[in-house]
Formats: sequence, structure tokens, C-alpha cells
Amino acid sequence: MSVQYTPVIWNRNKIFYDAVLLIAVALYLYIFIRVGPMFEDVTKPIDGAILRMRAFGSCAFLMLTVILCIGPLARLDRRFLPLLYNRRHFGVMTAGIAAVHANYVLTWYFNFSPTDRYVALLSSNTNYGQLLGFPFEALGIAALIVLFVLAATSHDFWLSFLGAPIWKALHMSIYAAYAFVVLHVALGALQGPADPIFTSVVAASVVLVCGLHFATGRMEARRERGEQTAKASLQEAGWVVAGELEEIDDDCAKVVTLTEDERVAIFKYDGKLSAITNACAHQNGPLGEGKVLWGCITCPWHGYQYNLADGRAPEPFTEKISTYRLKLIGSTVLLDPNPQPPGTYVEPVEIGEAA
Amino acid sequence: MQTAEFLIEIGQYYLMAGGVVAALFLVIGIDRIEPSSRGSYAFRPLLIPGICLIWPLVIYRWVVLEKHGEARR
Ligand code: HEM
Ligand code: FES
Repeated sequence: MSVQYTPVIWNRNKIFYDAVLLIAVALYLYIFIRVGPMFEDVTKPIDGAILRMRAFGSCAFLMLTVILCIGPLARLDRRFLPLLYNRRHFGVMTAGIAAVHANYVLTWYFNFSPTDRYVALLSSNTNYGQLLGFPFEALGIAALIVLFVLAATSHDFWLSFLGAPIWKALHMSIYAAYAFVVLHVALGALQGPADPIFTSVVAASVVLVCGLHFATGRMEARRERGEQTAKASLQEAGWVVAGELEEIDDDCAKVVTLTEDERVAIFKYDGKLSAITNACAHQNGPLGEGKVLWGCITCPWHGYQYNLADGRAPEPFTEKISTYRLKLIGSTVLLDPNPQPPGTYVEPVEIGEAA
Repeated sequence: MQTAEFLIEIGQYYLMAGGVVAALFLVIGIDRIEPSSRGSYAFRPLLIPGICLIWPLVIYRWVVLEKHGEARR
């Protein structure tokens, strides 16, 4: 049985992350609402509600931009990884800010008409056939619905309940939301009186999001090609593909059959990989089914022990078994099928980032 | 105007149906198919908005997990 669910799991880092986020959002809104009016056209003053609507709308847009940049940034440089951990709160907050924006629209533009506000919003412009004057509000609604669905399904429960493939597919729709928002802005606010700052911010955001995704895509393709060549040349030299890293559970082994009576057990333990023969020196017991403790494997049959790195029984015992050389290319484990003489030390392979 | 009213009405019914599904799922379903949630109740209200929004998917997963259990995770 796994850990029980709680509403939110907090820890120091998350509280810090959320605090920074909240402060940044509050600062942005404050500056927008306070400083923004100084730049406005005095002949066309904006009233407070519209200014706040814009503040929240642009804030949500920028937050969405940052969210979409975090993924590729973390893949380009691991120092960005901490940003990734708590993206969920970031996303929920974005949905909230966007909702405030939409609410300003509803209460300001549509509050004074006799028809229901929601009906008015949907029916005030239905020129879906044209680009200029397109009902960009509908795009905003679509984006908001997606953001709501993602925020509402961000709890760990959903990942487990829907299963990773469905959950991931669902959460990929964040890209659809971004596209809707960009169009919402491009066909809405950007069609009005030209505002060079806002226009360039939107353009820079699109360039940044697309550019980062393109760059990581290229980087990963290049790495993949590198791994393919490395794998091919090792195989040429006689190494065999033993399997994928995720096939091996922690402190367990995958047993690879080389020939009828030559089996190799590849162990994953303490973030490392080591390979030894599967046959115990005592009576050929299946070492691959044994338990790992302190880097030692205990034979399930009669309890003989061996160090995984050198195949030697700990002092004062003297049994030795063969070790094997391993290589990790990407997440693929390759094995040199030639056994090392019993008791030979082989440096364990660090799993590191691929884990 | 009529289309707008119609759409909003559909949306309302959709969310209402979601409310019914949420009640059923949180009272009956969740304990049957999600062992980690047995005995913990505080997080359940948090799931209501999500269930209201994607209740067809919730029903689908509920049925699948009832039929195949943990194997289909
Ligand atoms: C129900 C959903 C929404 C409605 C009805 C709506 C409506 C509007 C309206 C009427 C405007 C004013 C356009 C103009 O000045 O010509 C606007 C602007 C904007 N909206 Fe939305 N919107 C919605 C959702 C969203 C969402 C989800 C986002 C972002 C995540 C967003 C981001 C923006 C931005 C960045 C602007 C431009 C603000 C500015 O002029 O500085 N909107 N929206
Ligand atoms: S066969 Fe391994 S301890 Fe006896």
C-alpha cells in the first residue's frame, strides 16, 4: 500500500517556491496597475476595471509563457530542475489569475446589459468567419477551460487514477491553451491601438517558447544519434544489449542468458549497476534472485555473500565469482559477454542522470 | 442569442451531471479502485471540480479499473 493522499503535500522548498511566486505576481499586478496609467494616452484614459482586467490577463499570459519554458530549460540545463518540481502550483495559480481576468471582463463589459452576462459574452460577437474582428473572447474561453481542467486534475490522485498515458496526454493540452491565448491576444488586444511594448512582449514570448522547444528537440535528437552510434560500435566490438535501465528494480537484478549455462545477473543498487555471474560458487544457486545489502549479494540458497563490485566473498571467506563489464548508453544497458577472472574488480556503472 | 443560451444550458447540465458523478465516485467508487485513498478524506473535496469537468473520463476509468483492477494501471 502506498502513501495516503493528503490535500497538498508541503515542504520547505514548496513553501519558498510558492512565496516567491506569489510575491512576483503581486508585484507585477501592483506595478501594472500603478505605473501603467503613467504611460497611457491622456486623451483616452482607461478606467480602473479595464486596467485591472489587462493586468490580470497579461499576468496570466506571462505565467503561461514561463510554465512552458520551464520544461525545455530543465532539459537543457539541470540547474533549472528545481523550477520543474513545483510547476503544479504555478499552473493552478495561473488558472486563478486568468479566471480573475475573465471575471473582470464579465463584470465590466457585460454587467450592464439586460441579458444574462454569460449569454451576452457568447452572443455579442459571432463573426467566426472573419479574422479581423474575430470573436477572440471565445479563444479566451477555450484557454480558460483547458487551464481549469489542468488545474483541477493536478493532484497526484489524478495521475494514479487516470494512468500516466492518459494524464500526460491530457496535460499536453497546455500547448493548445497557449495557442488559444496567443490567438486570443493577437486577434483581440493587438488589433486595437498599437502598443509597442505589449506587442513585443507577446512576440518575444512566442519566439522564446517555440525557440526553446526547438532547441531541446534538436539537442535530444543529437544525443539520441550519439547514443545510437555508441551503441552500434559497442555491439560491433561484441557487447550485447542487456536491456533497459527501467527493467531493473532497485536492489534487484535482471538475469541475462548468454549461453545455456552462462547467465549474468545485472544488479541495480545505490544508484549503480554491477554484473556478476548468476551462479553461486557454492552450489550454483541463482544469485540474481538474492538480496542486496550494503553492496553485497546474499545467495538465496545457503546465504553465501559476495561483493557486487569484485565478486569476492567478504573476509574471512575466500570464494570468488566472475564479474562482467557493463556500459550504460542513454538508458540502455550493454554487457561485455566475456567474464572477468573470478574476483576481478569492475568499477560499478553510475546511473546518474538517466535514472 | 439562442445558440448562446443553448450552449450555456448544455454547459450547465454537463456540470450538474458531473456533480452527480462526483458524489457517487467520492462516496462509493474511490475506495473500491484507489487503495491509497482509503481512510483519507480531506483531499476528496479537492477532486470535485476535476470530476465535474471530466466526468465522462472518470466513469471510463472507474469501469476499467473495476474490471481489470490494478493490472491496468
Ligand atoms: C473566459 C475567458 C476570457 C475572456 C472572456 C477574455 C476576454 C478578454 C477581453 C475582452 C480582452 C480585451 C481585449 C482588448 O483590449 O481588446 C482580453 C484581453 C486579454 N486577455 Fe483575455 N479573456 C479570457 C481568457 C483569457 C486567458 C485564459 C488569458 C491568458 C491566460 C487571457 C489573456 C489576455 C491578455 C494577455 C489580454 C490583453 C491584455 C492587455 O491588453 O494588456 N485571457 N481578454
Ligand atoms: S548455492 Fe549459493 S549459497 Fe549455496
